[in-house]
Amino acid sequence: MAEENSQEAVYIRFSVLQRFLHIIVMIGFTGLALTGFSLKFSGQWWASAFVWLIGGAGHLAYLHRFFAVVTYACVVAHILWLIYYKLVLKGRLTGPQTLFPRYKDFKDLIGHMRYFFGKGRLPTFNRFTYWEKFDYLAIFLGMNTMGLTGLILWTPEFFSRLLPGYFINLAQVLHLYEAILAVALKFVVHLISAHLRPEVFPIEKSIFNGRTTREKIMREHPGEWEHIQTIHEPS
Amino acid sequence: MYKLILFVLIFVGIGVPGLEAMAADPAMMPPVLDGKQRDCLDCHRYPNVNTNEGAYASQAFCMECHGEKACQKTVNDQQISLRVDLESFKKTPHTYTACIQCHTDVARSPHVSESGAVCTECHAVHGEEEIHDPHLRVDCQACHHASKYVSLDSETAKIRLSHTDDKNLPISLIDHTLSDVADAQFCNRCHHAENKVGAAAIVLPSKSFLCILCHSAPFAMGHPMFWIAFIVFIFGVILTIRFWFKGSVEGEETSLHRKVSLASESVWQVIFSRQLFALAKVVVLDVFLQRRILQESVRRWSIHSLIYLSVLARLFVGLITYFAYETAPDSSLALALLNKNNGFTAFFYDLTGLFVVLGIVWAVIQRFVIKPAYVAREGQDNLAIAIIGVLIGLGFVLEGARILMTQIPFSMACYSFIGYPLARLMSLLDFNWNLVYPWLWYAHAGVGALLIAYFPFGKMRHVFNTPLTLMMNYRIK
Repeated sequence: MAEENSQEAVYIRFSVLQRFLHIIVMIGFTGLALTGFSLKFSGQWWASAFVWLIGGAGHLAYLHRFFAVVTYACVVAHILWLIYYKLVLKGRLTGPQTLFPRYKDFKDLIGHMRYFFGKGRLPTFNRFTYWEKFDYLAIFLGMNTMGLTGLILWTPEFFSRLLPGYFINLAQVLHLYEAILAVALKFVVHLISAHLRPEVFPIEKSIFNGRTTREKIMREHPGEWEHIQTIHEPS
Repeated sequence: MYKLILFVLIFVGIGVPGLEAMAADPAMMPPVLDGKQRDCLDCHRYPNVNTNEGAYASQAFCMECHGEKACQKTVNDQQISLRVDLESFKKTPHTYTACIQCHTDVARSPHVSESGAVCTECHAVHGEEEIHDPHLRVDCQACHHASKYVSLDSETAKIRLSHTDDKNLPISLIDHTLSDVADAQFCNRCHHAENKVGAAAIVLPSKSFLCILCHSAPFAMGHPMFWIAFIVFIFGVILTIRFWFKGSVEGEETSLHRKVSLASESVWQVIFSRQLFALAKVVVLDVFLQRRILQESVRRWSIHSLIYLSVLARLFVGLITYFAYETAPDSSLALALLNKNNGFTAFFYDLTGLFVVLGIVWAVIQRFVIKPAYVAREGQDNLAIAIIGVLIGLGFVLEGARILMTQIPFSMACYSFIGYPLARLMSLLDFNWNLVYPWLWYAHAGVGALLIAYFPFGKMRHVFNTPLTLMMNYRIK
């Protein structure tokens, strides 16, 4: 994670696997959103246009499931990596420098708002700020919800043997509203966090090239910088 | 007076026989049906057969004659029924299909079909996986129709339903129920030792996806022996990669996790940078065109390229065939590439096969006859040459046997400029080629599986190592 690569003190923030999975999830999520909303709002003019472009309503359903398999494969890969990280690399899954939510994040949110109104100092963020954790958890929990409800909708005959029939209706409702939530979050939270924040405008590149500089860590994640200084981290 | 008598005589003389002829002419529908006079458009129209009611209306029209017991034809003094049993037809999958959607050329006079039922109006042909390309010459009906009598039409070289049974008596093919293709015994209709349609004596498996190195192949493993070969191959690849990571990577000696991270980081940085173009240049010039060998020795480059570029070209065409069939199974491109007797396909595969044979023969001469000083005689080199040589040899023999067994005429086989003469030579041997062909097929497939399994263990490993080394050293001239 922290490594001197050159004179400019470059640090590796995201490993190659994480960069790769992020790209695939990007493509998969976009495909799912486009095909999914065209399926749900098929009467609208933009859905008809999209269906005309890609080659028919049947193909639309097929593509939605194709992207679903691709995206969920990335979720599975991520979970396997988490297991590898915990058991083999003996890393921590909870703690101040992880993505696990903590009470401090809530306090950071309040403190950040007070800072915006001139009522306090900027909070000392750790490795992942509260909005970055929110971004990650929304996707992690959201994709699993979408995956499960989507699977129920894909194979209702199988699931109605295990669950009462109204679970299919429940799955329909959850799938739609979770979809709206996920897309809305991407268009608001992720857009701002990755593109519109003054520190990173026009784009936060570290998820693609994996690197960040010492200055950026000191400025944006001072809690992590302190942590790097005080202990010797495992690779 | 005489004019009147003359007029009446002429009228009666022509008119009465004319009316009789109309009534006796079977091609003409009765003008009165159920007490009602018919309109022209009652018959001379095309209902919308894309709807169920249109399909039923069209069926009812044909059933006016073909529902009657009297609907028959006479063949060699035998009465053959042409009566369709509508009740049993409605139980088939084609219940909502109008007669003319399959029998596309009967709605006319004379009321005879030249093409029979045309299934490809709605259905694509089968691909490599289900029944593989020799069946491109087989009419759909020959398998899917309930009748088990098939014959080889010598004019068109196609296998069709026979209009006579095995005692040469004419049979009625009017039964529209389909045969059960899932039944294991079903293929014995053609695939038995005494068949006259040019089929192998047993049902052979499809090619495996491993065969795509040289052939068009489906996305399936085929016979279990290919699974074994594939597992051995993967095992060998894992052993190789494990061996590579025993050494140090960018100074890191011990942690495998660190080595993998460092290696993947380097790969990522090169791919997503301007260096990619330098890398692409190395791939084209050194990996494909083997520039470094050419700089050292034209002879060695020629021997290697005869084998390597031919196999690469075949792999390329095999991949195109696969994607063409998957995306557009009806397209003429897919059908041409799948058809082993198509002009381009037959010529291309024979030519590249010939080049591989020439490369192997030249390599053997270099290695065992001329023996220049730099040739190191290691057993592994010879094993690789032997396996490939035997594989290609068996391949050509198999092609000759196929041409001989399937009895295709010269006009179709002439593009196989090696296979056809070989078939001519092989015809001098008095074998039952229906029985010999399966043995040859399994021999060729077995050696192919052996080649794939052997790949990571012998000198053939250079197929992976050399491109990798060349790409890693892309900066070195």
